[in-house]
Amino acid sequence: MLASAHAPAGPRFAGHVNTVISAGRVELVDVRQRALGEARLRALWILGLFAAIALVALARLVHLGIGEQLRRGDAIASAPRRGDIVDRNGVPLARAFPAYSLWFNPKAMGEGSALVKTPAEVAAALLRIFPDENYDRLVARLASGKPGYLRRRILPEDANRIHALGEPALEFPREAERYYPQGSMAAHVLGYVDSFGHGQVGMEAVFDKQLSERATRGTPAVLAIDARVQGALEDELFTGMKRSEAKGAAGIIMDADTGEVLALASLPSFNPNALRPGDISQKADHSQANIFNRATNQTYELGSVFKPITMAAAIDSGVVTDLSKRYQSNRPLTIDGRQIHDSHSFGATLNIPEALIHSSNVVTGQVADQLGAARLKATMQALAFNERPYIELPARGRPQWPRGDKNGVWSRVTTITASYGHGFSITPLHLATAYAALVNGGMWRPATLQKVAPDHVAQGRRIWQASTSARMRQLLRSIVEVGTGRSANAPGFRVGGKTGTAEQWDGNTHSYRKDLNVTTFAAAFPMDHPRYVVIVTLDSPKAVSATSFQRTAAWNAAPVVGKVIPRIGPLLGVMPDAARDIDITDIAPLIGDGEGE
Amino acid sequence: MNLTRDRLNTIGWGMALTICAALTLGLTFRVNAVKSEVRLAERRIVALKQEKLFLETEFETRANQQQLKAFNDVDFGYEAPTAAQYLESERQLAAYGKARSPDAPSPIRVASAQGLEVPQMVSPLTGQFMSDAVAAEVPAQGARKPLKAGDLRDRLSAVPARKAAAD
Repeated sequence: MLASAHAPAGPRFAGHVNTVISAGRVELVDVRQRALGEARLRALWILGLFAAIALVALARLVHLGIGEQLRRGDAIASAPRRGDIVDRNGVPLARAFPAYSLWFNPKAMGEGSALVKTPAEVAAALLRIFPDENYDRLVARLASGKPGYLRRRILPEDANRIHALGEPALEFPREAERYYPQGSMAAHVLGYVDSFGHGQVGMEAVFDKQLSERATRGTPAVLAIDARVQGALEDELFTGMKRSEAKGAAGIIMDADTGEVLALASLPSFNPNALRPGDISQKADHSQANIFNRATNQTYELGSVFKPITMAAAIDSGVVTDLSKRYQSNRPLTIDGRQIHDSHSFGATLNIPEALIHSSNVVTGQVADQLGAARLKATMQALAFNERPYIELPARGRPQWPRGDKNGVWSRVTTITASYGHGFSITPLHLATAYAALVNGGMWRPATLQKVAPDHVAQGRRIWQASTSARMRQLLRSIVEVGTGRSANAPGFRVGGKTGTAEQWDGNTHSYRKDLNVTTFAAAFPMDHPRYVVIVTLDSPKAVSATSFQRTAAWNAAPVVGKVIPRIGPLLGVMPDAARDIDITDIAPLIGDGEGE
Repeated sequence: MNLTRDRLNTIGWGMALTICAALTLGLTFRVNAVKSEVRLAERRIVALKQEKLFLETEFETRANQQQLKAFNDVDFGYEAPTAAQYLESERQLAAYGKARSPDAPSPIRVASAQGLEVPQMVSPLTGQFMSDAVAAEVPAQGARKPLKAGDLRDRLSAVPARKAAAD
């Protein structure tokens, strides 16, 4: 409009008017322009800001979309803080488990009484949930008004029941704990985890690094143990120990061909979920503590179970070529002024099978005398009787090995005493590996608690010829069929084995005590194709009515084996078959009947 | 306004770009939504796994070997089966069908029920004799007739009818 009104006046005129009027106008236009520019700038700024925010949001969205890939599985792979330990069939024996603890918090209800009911009532209610708790201890703890753990590692169901008691002072914080679902089963094999999270004693200590490292703890550690076999062994061993009122007991079940330990038990045992003061001894004599492993750490003079090893060495080296050869057996053997007796006389003479069946020290001594110190010692060294046992566990006892003279040569007395299992002491695990070699064709392999794949079996070393091993299988079977091991003869399982009753050395009187024994039964089954070795040792069994007032292995250790084998055989794929047995027809005519120790 | 070919081209490209950008954005949102769902599902899986571990461990603890043994000792008293209770192979099974050897003891005979009157079956529900029902189920002699769909329907519908008659 403005431009069109001035147009007729011409440029000159118009220019004049403009200069007059513009003083105010230009200013106005300027202001307007500036305001517009400013507004535009602001709008641009805001737009820019929004765009930037949008960009950032978009970038974040895209980043989240991509970044999620990396974070994915974080939650899934929330690996346990310590890896599980499972048995050979995958049954969990130890696992990281966020168990509840029972914590007493007297301040939960503010000032005043800590509990709604009286401490005695609450303690009685807790006792109903945990029958193994001590009532007086609970009452004292609840009445004391001091905060603290009442119990650790309790199950969710028990936590629910405590919750139902309606006591705010009883709290159950959840804590990542090591939990052993099977309780005290295989406690000596597993060990426990201390309060710093480190494994102690058993495979927890052996596998400590593997179980706690982030990279490896996701996969469980697999043991050679079979939980079912372990349970059966512990049951029967416990029954046998109680029956004979023994101080302790040890048992081992081992695969004869691979050296895998399927069960290893030591009694009295402990519960790794709840260690008690008696379990771990602070005293120097730690063999009194329950945590002490009698199967791998305690050395015993194992006695007559060693006789088959002497005989095998004699047969293998050609000293005994004729099993029917008769040895005198009614006179004590006198060597360098020392007499070697039998428990009672078995008649004028005995042949080799009879000597084993009756467990004659006199005949074994004569055979060992012919065999000689060097060869017997070499056999025992080959069986690693002079070293700590080969197994992963940290608790491995050092055998007591006869030193011999200054050149290490054994005297005749040492040799003969060793031939029937005295004068040196080894762990039951040593015996298990030796018996495995005795029956599996003569190959010695170290024991292992880790599951062995069939193509990774240790190579082993040959101790005896396969023919010697075959002969020993016949002899061991006949000991169980007609000899001292009859109560271990589980029908259909073709058990073979040898009893051993050794007297314990009394440090105070410096003599062997007749009333303080270690009884052992070393067995293998099925004898026509031996697959498993079973060792049962009882420490200081008593002569009580349950064992017919007898103290020998035939009455206390052998029945345990006789009960264990029918329970574990079918689980391990050994079916009982009364119509099948090892052929002992060639030695059967050499055997009479009789008793021994 | 002149819509030249060039300008149209530019506008077209711009719109295509805008649409693509919008689609990409939408897709990104969708992807992120799905991812978020997956994450939630994963969290749930972990929670369920934890719960499973809990229940499994509790079950294992309550059914552990020592508990089962105590249970068996008190309530059942089962023992390991003996050799006579196992049949390992077909050969062993076939051995039972062998002809008796000349000096074998004569086999044990079980009591025979021949000539005895079999007591009539009684319905556990009504307490009445089930002669009708049994007669309907078992043909008087010979093998059963092959069932047809119609039979089954009749038999099933017959039950309430009889019940109605009894009432």
